[in-house]
Amino acid sequence: MIGAIYSLLALGIVLILKSSGVFNLAVGEFVAFGCYIGWAFAVQLGVPFPLMFAGLFVVAALLALGIERGFMRPLIGQPVLSAIMITIALMQILAGIIVLVWPGTNRVYPPLLPSGTFAFWGVTVSQENLLIFLVCMGAFALFVVFFQYTRIGLVMRAVSEDQQLAQSQGIKVTSIISIAWFIAIAVAFIGGLFLGFRHGVNGPGLAALGLKSFPAVIVGGMESIPGALIGGMLVGISETFGVGYVDKYVRGGMAEVMPFIVLLLVLIIRPYGLFGYKKIERV
Amino acid sequence: MRPCGTFDERYGQDMAIVRTRFQWVMLIVGIGLFLGVYGQVSGYFMLCIANTIGITIIAALGLQILLGYCGQISIGHMAFVAVGAYTTGMLTYHLGWPWIAAFPVAVVASALVGVAFGIPALRIKGFYLALSTMAAHFIIMWAILHGGEITGGAFGLPVPPPKFGAVVINSERAFFYLIMAFVLMMTFLAKNLVRTKLGRAFIAVRDNDVAAEFMGINIVSHKLLAFGIASGFAGAAGALYAPYLGNLAVEQFAFIESLWYIGYLIVGGMGSITGVYFGVTSLVTLKHLIMVGSSELAGIVPALSSGISAALMQIFFGTVIALFLIFEPLGLHHRWETAKSSIRLWPFPY
Repeated sequence: MIGAIYSLLALGIVLILKSSGVFNLAVGEFVAFGCYIGWAFAVQLGVPFPLMFAGLFVVAALLALGIERGFMRPLIGQPVLSAIMITIALMQILAGIIVLVWPGTNRVYPPLLPSGTFAFWGVTVSQENLLIFLVCMGAFALFVVFFQYTRIGLVMRAVSEDQQLAQSQGIKVTSIISIAWFIAIAVAFIGGLFLGFRHGVNGPGLAALGLKSFPAVIVGGMESIPGALIGGMLVGISETFGVGYVDKYVRGGMAEVMPFIVLLLVLIIRPYGLFGYKKIERV
Repeated sequence: MRPCGTFDERYGQDMAIVRTRFQWVMLIVGIGLFLGVYGQVSGYFMLCIANTIGITIIAALGLQILLGYCGQISIGHMAFVAVGAYTTGMLTYHLGWPWIAAFPVAVVASALVGVAFGIPALRIKGFYLALSTMAAHFIIMWAILHGGEITGGAFGLPVPPPKFGAVVINSERAFFYLIMAFVLMMTFLAKNLVRTKLGRAFIAVRDNDVAAEFMGINIVSHKLLAFGIASGFAGAAGALYAPYLGNLAVEQFAFIESLWYIGYLIVGGMGSITGVYFGVTSLVTLKHLIMVGSSELAGIVPALSSGISAALMQIFFGTVIALFLIFEPLGLHHRWETAKSSIRLWPFPY
């Protein structure tokens, strides 16, 4: 099931990549941020569940606007390193804010999801896990439809293809990029919320999860939404296999490196991933 | 821009880095004052900052050659510093080698590891390469953490202080002179390396790799060489860092430290050896000030104490990088050059 979480994070990355061509390294921090904001709404302010959702979306929209205005717009036309570093800068600022505002150790959400288990063909699955899995799948289906069949999805694909060309067709590139950031941040927030339900709120742990979701993006192929889904699953499965089968030979800890080993292998053998366009610049 | 009245009569003069007699005097007096006065007068804290800056400069020079000159992104530079540090530690602690013998081995070991992880660079570039170097960081750190007694694992690895005959380097002041000697050597090496045939080939690869290949530069070997040289510098920094820390632990080589190295280059300016000095000196000094400041602040407001130093550091890092990327992408080095030429031209506008 860890694969579903990677998939969700990978989706957040792919969304931004598809619409603005920026690889967002800060996705782990977005998830953590969403987790904390949700907790702050639910526990510190005590608002009911639907209101909390609305609050999360408002925060996501504000954050997206701020990022697009403050960080992304000045960097149009800069080299790729600048784009990487600006998201790293964003990641550090968010991580710092999280520690400053919510110091200390783990926090726990009030139980909102059903917590029972049931047997499914002899495999015990907790209802909570299943629900998370279903939400992930639903989100994926929604986004595939969104990108293929709606006007805004089409416009976003145009923007990712060529910003100048899109602009000359009368598309307002900056606002499209804002919308993409909003969607990506909202997805990350929702992901964070579910993670918070399951594991409690733990900022650094979530951020590390974010780092481990990059392999999922690369494995699946950078521009592909189904790729993000399958890549996430593959990385999750390889991680579990690593823990199960390799750990006893190498003194443990495979969970931390297995995604990165997969990443290196994919980058050496098939850099465009399973479903990505083969347009990667070869040297 | 050179000072007024400097003319080249021989080829050597045209190639010289230090061009005028006045500059030579300034350089020697400056180094002499720094070593003699700063090294003798300053207390523990000032020496500590200077030593950290020195070690960081050596590693950052390597990254500058890789990123600033050859254009290959690496966001796992600290891992190669760790390789150098742990090689030194293992050789001196387990095998009892003298430090000076372990130093070249550490440099070579680090360079070899760097070349191995540079292999993906042959097929990919841009942020694919960034991700693969990030993977390199986590894999190397994992190997060190799970190396058992050989690397000390989670318990850390003690490193004995270096000895030169009867002289034992174990105080901040003694380390200051050792580190500064290496900083001078490495700067000399880097500054000259980037203007040799090799350095110019690196620049050609950075600017346009297809054109570079067309001109007869072997891209494969040059990229691997750039990774090797960068990791070699990192290894040298690690070899100095190991005895300076005295006890190696994995936490000292965290991923965020690798990101700081990119930060030094962005603030200092890409593609300039002087820029490394600006970036590292300004940021490391500010880092130390934040550490001191935040512990003071935590003393005043106890509620903020847990992790405030790390949090402020992160916010500071992010803000500085973002501001430089947005407002001064060319870095402090560019500002320094414009300031120099405007002083030389004064009182004329251009």
